[in-house]
Amino acid sequence: MKELGSMWQDSRMVVLCAISAALYAAVLVPFKVVPFIPGITELRPANAIPVVCSFLFGPAAAWGAAIGNLIGDFFGGVGPGDIFGFAGNLVYGYVPYKLWEIVASGRPPLPRSAADFLRYALVCLAASLLCADLIGWGDNMLALRPFGVLGNIIVVNNMLAALVLSPLLLLAVYPRVERGRLLYRDILGVAQRRPGGLMQAVGVVLLLCGELGAWLVGNLVSTGRLNLGLLPASLMRPPYDAAVALGVAPFLLAAVGGLALL
Amino acid sequence: MEGDRRTPSRQAQGLSDCPAASANACPAPWAVELRRVSFAYGASAEPALCEVTLKIEPGTMLGVVGASGAGKSTLVKTLNRLVPAFEAGRFEGEVRVGGRRLDGLRVCELAREVGMVFQDFEAQLFSTNVAHEVAFALEQFALARQEIARRIGPALSAVGLAGFERRDPTTLSGGEKQRLAIACALATEPAVLVLDEPTTDLDPQGRAEVFAAVRRLRGAGRTLIIVEHDLEELAVCDRLALLKEGRLTFEAPPAELFARPELVARCGLRLPDLAAVLKQLGIEEIARDVDEAEALVRGRYTLPGPAPAGGSPEGPAPGRAGQTKIGRPPLVEVRQLGLAYPASASEALSAVDLAVEAGEFVALVGKNGSGKSTLAKVLAGLLEPSRGRLLVDGKERSAAGRSHLKGDIGYVFQNPDHQIFAASVEEEIRFGPRNLGLSHRQTAERADQVLAAVGLDAVRQRDPFLLSKGERQRLAVAAVLALRPRLLILDEPTTGLDYREQRRMMALVAELNRQGIAIVMITHTPWLVADYARRVVLLDNGRKRFDGPVREFLGRPQMLAESAFGLPAATALSQRFGTTALSAGELVCWIRKHS
Amino acid sequence: MPIYLYIEGESWLHRLHPVVKVWALFAAFWSVYWVDQPLALVPLGLLMTVAAQAGGAWANFYRLRYLFAGVVFFTALSWMVFYRQGTPLIDTPLVRVSRASLLFGFGRGLKLAELLGTSVLFLSSTKIEEFGAGLTRLGVPYRVGFAITLAFRLVPLFIDSALTVVQAQRLRGYEFRRGGPLARMRRYVPVVVPVFMEALRKANAMAMALEARGFGAGGRPTSLIDRELRRSDRMAVALLGGLAVAYFLIYYAGYGAIRPD
Repeated sequence: MKELGSMWQDSRMVVLCAISAALYAAVLVPFKVVPFIPGITELRPANAIPVVCSFLFGPAAAWGAAIGNLIGDFFGGVGPGDIFGFAGNLVYGYVPYKLWEIVASGRPPLPRSAADFLRYALVCLAASLLCADLIGWGDNMLALRPFGVLGNIIVVNNMLAALVLSPLLLLAVYPRVERGRLLYRDILGVAQRRPGGLMQAVGVVLLLCGELGAWLVGNLVSTGRLNLGLLPASLMRPPYDAAVALGVAPFLLAAVGGLALL
Repeated sequence: MEGDRRTPSRQAQGLSDCPAASANACPAPWAVELRRVSFAYGASAEPALCEVTLKIEPGTMLGVVGASGAGKSTLVKTLNRLVPAFEAGRFEGEVRVGGRRLDGLRVCELAREVGMVFQDFEAQLFSTNVAHEVAFALEQFALARQEIARRIGPALSAVGLAGFERRDPTTLSGGEKQRLAIACALATEPAVLVLDEPTTDLDPQGRAEVFAAVRRLRGAGRTLIIVEHDLEELAVCDRLALLKEGRLTFEAPPAELFARPELVARCGLRLPDLAAVLKQLGIEEIARDVDEAEALVRGRYTLPGPAPAGGSPEGPAPGRAGQTKIGRPPLVEVRQLGLAYPASASEALSAVDLAVEAGEFVALVGKNGSGKSTLAKVLAGLLEPSRGRLLVDGKERSAAGRSHLKGDIGYVFQNPDHQIFAASVEEEIRFGPRNLGLSHRQTAERADQVLAAVGLDAVRQRDPFLLSKGERQRLAVAAVLALRPRLLILDEPTTGLDYREQRRMMALVAELNRQGIAIVMITHTPWLVADYARRVVLLDNGRKRFDGPVREFLGRPQMLAESAFGLPAATALSQRFGTTALSAGELVCWIRKHS
Repeated sequence: MPIYLYIEGESWLHRLHPVVKVWALFAAFWSVYWVDQPLALVPLGLLMTVAAQAGGAWANFYRLRYLFAGVVFFTALSWMVFYRQGTPLIDTPLVRVSRASLLFGFGRGLKLAELLGTSVLFLSSTKIEEFGAGLTRLGVPYRVGFAITLAFRLVPLFIDSALTVVQAQRLRGYEFRRGGPLARMRRYVPVVVPVFMEALRKANAMAMALEARGFGAGGRPTSLIDRELRRSDRMAVALLGGLAVAYFLIYYAGYGAIRPD
């Protein structure tokens, strides 16, 4: 995670961060930002951009996704939930390149074979889930929108964009960016990661288990299908704001902790 | 190196390594000094700069000229260490600014000594307010708020932007944006100001504004270095440095370079009109403007005076709407066309009549915001008019269906990068025909044809993003040609190209026209209109002001001045003698005949 | 293309220190958090109306009227699925409508609409640079604040460029609306790629221009905007603090919640 801080020293990365953010916010608007459900979310093919940028610009894209989402929210009204939108999109732009370095070190993120596509899909799913968990959890905790709605819409939206649009964009753009020496590895001089390492394995397990657990608990608790016996009965009542907040938090902690170990 | 570098004004250079050679001590170092500077980008074996040695006196103005790829930008980027600190590559030699060696310095540390303005004005403005934009660099140097506020006004005044403090830079014209960029550089009070192709992407009005600002900056003791590939504006420089393939080929006052048209041509540059006329007439002296040129010509030839004022009467614009060749309706025609944008109070187009027939070559001219692009987009079917009729082949557009969107009328946008996306040149060209539902074999055939026509056959498998700007522009034309349009609309097809590429582009357009394709070309460039168009349509404030032959158009100086359309210098000179010549060659013939 | 809400003006709302405006956002978020009862949200709504009038922001509220209506309606609807309390008026497996769920849903919708309103007020009266300066004042690193303001500036540029690309590809016979939702999503490629590549061409030029203008020259950059808090700023802070406390007291006194029965 160190590079999330150190990248700010490089002017190119600052610019790439702003460009990733602006692209994310700008690509959708001309094609009608139709609120899928106003106040909840829109159908966002633009969600392909953070994934593409992540593989290209690494940490700059992670911040870019977070800032781009913030700008998008400025069009639809900023609110306290935007803090979680910021965090959720930060991981949505951070997880793809980070996990790809582990599962397919050294190979370009171009899903040209079935095995690579599967790896790519898993990496995107991990990013989408954690993004959905963070935003769904935060918004439910702030009594704005239920986890059961937002958490699932985000996963579906992100995965659709990541599986349908992002691969095509990557195929068109990645080789050109690589040639222009604008890949984050070239700018920051980051060496290829060597696979393996106990910490890394623990990190991956924590991340995946944590985010999956958070998603399941968030869904089940917010819809009243799971009664968390550890919590006082007074919290296990609609709208389940506190129950979701307390039930999902440990899993999220585990996932974010795992991410920090990568 | 060609040319005599020790001109009378600089003979001291051979005696001393100091600009003020008469003094015993060296009172001031050179403003800029390059010693055997070479640079190659990345791992490239081809050097972008090769052993360049150059010295610039403080307070002077140097023009750096050459064709695209000659090394001009690379040369000036060595002055603030963008090369090699930012652009990786192999660097050799030594650069000094104000006597200080730059080795090891960071780019940002040099910003107070060397101000730099770049070609792409969009990429160098970072704020939403003009005053904040000027303040940006000053904030970086942690100047006090009062000091920042004090410097904003004078910097803006110096470039004629006083009163613009609260404007959003995105609402400024290209010329204003570029002047703002100059103001930003001036605010840091640098000793050396570098302008790297500041007018390449601008229209003539913007160019004139920028050069007027640059002329105002002279004489303030600041050293100015301006990179250009158009020699016309550089006559005011103290010296010109001509680069070719990374080497400094010639360095002397402008007059000496203009006296060598063969060298200018060899380096891919366009000799200024006036220099060309004088040279062809056998006059050795150099004129900085039309007045001087007139005096020189009259000194050698006896010629009539200008036509009396109003001699080219400004009658009603020749109406051409609805004119047809017998039995054939115009290819495309608009009648009483009106169009208002939703957010705007006034109409972008108002009661415009226009007919374009098969095989015509029309130049569509007018100031920025006069409605040229709007009209062209209506013709292409991209914009729906609010009033009036649009006819294609004499049929209402609704009756013609969407055929205008499917090949009959092609539109090439100003920036070729707005349409290029495919992985190879050939794929890019096949995209359009494929959208029309053509078979694989048919799209391949069309690709073969247009690739040959635009001269890109050799690069058909290359990634379009690796092509030069000129090649990308031709690819954009080819991609539209593959749709077999009968009318081709070109929006500023030569913007950002150097002279050689402009000529090549226009030769292609002229050839397509000869083959029967009607051309409507939006342009601001006077010599393109004079050399290539046969008919001019002038728009003014959304209305058609003139529609007629080129010579008649250029013969109305009053109207042209009001429309901010600069005459080609040869045409302006010819009007001093009571005629309207379209080119330097034509004027020379006329003078010889009438003297 | 005008996509930002900022309205040039000199009202007291415009003149407030950016940090105070960020504090106002926080105070509004805090206030609505504690209450679900629509009636309890009315005072904040009235306060916003006054601010909108004083700040000349009505044009933006009008511009976004459908968004406001949609936010209230759909938020109310979605909570009817999850909030299954009170005596049902309509009971289906998916939606359960009761007086309580109607009130609850409407309250949460109103809450979101008020949050939206707060941000419209903020954006109508705050320049992006002021927002950046406010963030820096609040401890956000300068370079992060700068990246945010730069991104804001680039959005309209990229949108314009995307609109031009759409036109260019349409003229080459390309139809964006063909096929199902997934096929349509794939059809974005010929638009996104040119915009992306143009942005990348700019990236290098921008980074160079930044460095050439002294970005990172050292030290903590100063700001043309940043200034000390004035008396009016301090008064606004106190008022907003009072509002936040008042809403907490409404919650504490039990007037903010919906009672299912």
